Amino acid sequence: MTSLGLSTRTIVLLSVGIAILIALPLVVKSSFAIEIFIRILLFSFIGTAWNLMGGYAKQLSLGHAAYFGLGAYTSTILQIDFNISPWIGMIAGGLVAVLASLPIGWLCFRLRGPYFTIATIATAQALMLIFLKFRDLAWGAEGTTIPNLGSAPLMMQFETKASYYYVVLGLLVLALAITWLIERSWVGNYLVAIGEDEDAAEAIGVDAPRMKRDIYMISAFLTALAGTFYTQYIYFIDPATAFSFSISIEAALVSIVGGIGTLWGPVIGTILLETTSTLLQSWLGSSIGGVQLTVYSLILMAVILWRPTGLMGMIDEARHRFVSRKPVQA
Amino acid sequence: MWETVAQAVINGLLIGGIYALVSIGVTLIFGVVKIVNFAQGEFVMIGMYISFFLANQFGIDPLLSLFVSMPVLFVVGVLIQHFLIRRVLGPNDMPQIFLTFALSLLLLNLALMLFTANYRTVHTSYSDEALHVGGLYIPVAKLIAFVVAMALSGALWVFLHTTDLGKAMRAAAQNRDVAMLMGINPDRVFCVALGIALALAGAAGSLLMPFYSAYPFVGQVFVLMAFVAVVLGTLGNVIGALVASLMMGVAESLGIQYVGADSGLIVVFAMLLLTLAFKPSGLGGGRAR
Repeated sequence: MTSLGLSTRTIVLLSVGIAILIALPLVVKSSFAIEIFIRILLFSFIGTAWNLMGGYAKQLSLGHAAYFGLGAYTSTILQIDFNISPWIGMIAGGLVAVLASLPIGWLCFRLRGPYFTIATIATAQALMLIFLKFRDLAWGAEGTTIPNLGSAPLMMQFETKASYYYVVLGLLVLALAITWLIERSWVGNYLVAIGEDEDAAEAIGVDAPRMKRDIYMISAFLTALAGTFYTQYIYFIDPATAFSFSISIEAALVSIVGGIGTLWGPVIGTILLETTSTLLQSWLGSSIGGVQLTVYSLILMAVILWRPTGLMGMIDEARHRFVSRKPVQA
Repeated sequence: MWETVAQAVINGLLIGGIYALVSIGVTLIFGVVKIVNFAQGEFVMIGMYISFFLANQFGIDPLLSLFVSMPVLFVVGVLIQHFLIRRVLGPNDMPQIFLTFALSLLLLNLALMLFTANYRTVHTSYSDEALHVGGLYIPVAKLIAFVVAMALSGALWVFLHTTDLGKAMRAAAQNRDVAMLMGINPDRVFCVALGIALALAGAAGSLLMPFYSAYPFVGQVFVLMAFVAVVLGTLGNVIGALVASLMMGVAESLGIQYVGADSGLIVVFAMLLLTLAFKPSGLGGGRAR
């Protein structure tokens, strides 16, 4: 046991995993493949951020695009109007998201269950409308392109896709580390207690409103970082992309399919969904609209009806059956 | 001056009747089965496509296709309750929310694949007709839709208050455990609730068809409106949902008149956020009836 309480085996596995991820762009030269890796890492990151609140505390938000968009717009406005580096803008965007999560949370947490979910959808859509309607605020509906400076690492612009890969890999490692720390502390236990039964948790002394507010702030902060990264990566921003409902959907989807409230669930869920989506696109071409989400929704329904614990639940079961030969815990 | 206001109010009330059919379905399912059906708007969309194809292929008037869309969607509702929703009922929120949400995504994207994103319209002899009453302009198609919507809502109220099955549904909504002890079969009641709610959505679709375009995303407009109306009218309360829907229609129409053509949604969101901030239990307050 080390000071962090990790077993030697875990440390070896983690080191090997990180080494492979760092080496990957050096070995794989196809920019198409790197783009897919970036998508997988990005949505794993967004999913991990969602999972902190949606997975552990079971506050099922479908409005995380609000923070993705706020992060994207904050850093872009700072960059274009004030020439401030997106690295600083990214943190600023995170802080804006944290501030915005306070009133949004204050409103939405008044409702529970499905009506909390609906309220979060409405807040994200309302923010999109604000950015669409108020043209003085930020370019209105047509959005803007990010000035391309060529190779400018200090402005978060790189010549190779591989550099973006490392940025988003770093973000994912950060989010996983935060999740890992929370999961094994009293905070994680309190969140799970709220997720299981909020009234019971309050009855034994958990300050549920404060816990929900705090985890919402962390989740919003991380989601905003993804917004800045994505805008820098595609060199474009408009309200329909930045506040896209599909961001909110995918954040929740990858976590549920992978295993809600587990450390690796969002990562595994993203790998499955993004791989499926890529295969579908190469097989059918991108000509028919709606194919990707049709398949996603079928996978989601299958998981909910047959394996509510997601892929992580299946992996755990298999491990129990084959490795430790212990009976499966239901 | 007063004529513009009156005209906006009338426009709002007329479309509010359609919102009411969708909201009553949502609130009925929430009251009886205790789940939120995120796919309710997609059933409006299906109702519209049923009417569109009947009109296009066989020249059947969209108002007559009500007699097809309502029974078809009733059966769909019973099947969805029996084969899908029944399996996720329990204390856990996640499967309930995301099952109907997945269903909504599935139907929407299937429609996109099968019918493309094109707008489909049906032109009827009364599509362009309008009544002129004291300087006010009342489109006939919208007036018919409103009257039929109110009649269907009234019929549902009579059903819930006078028939044994209707009373069983209200009893199940008030206290499921006691209702079961009194010999009410919850599965049957839930199936009927889903069936009625979806039939109402189908009716909304058929009634819309003479004056509104069908496209895969059309349901999203109506379901959003319904969710707000259902919160505003107190969750699970049928009359509350009806009144709130009419209010929403008027608010949206006044917003379009005085704020700008595309401000309807902003007004809706503003109403939802104000409701949450000041009256989270809805205008009816207290318990669901």
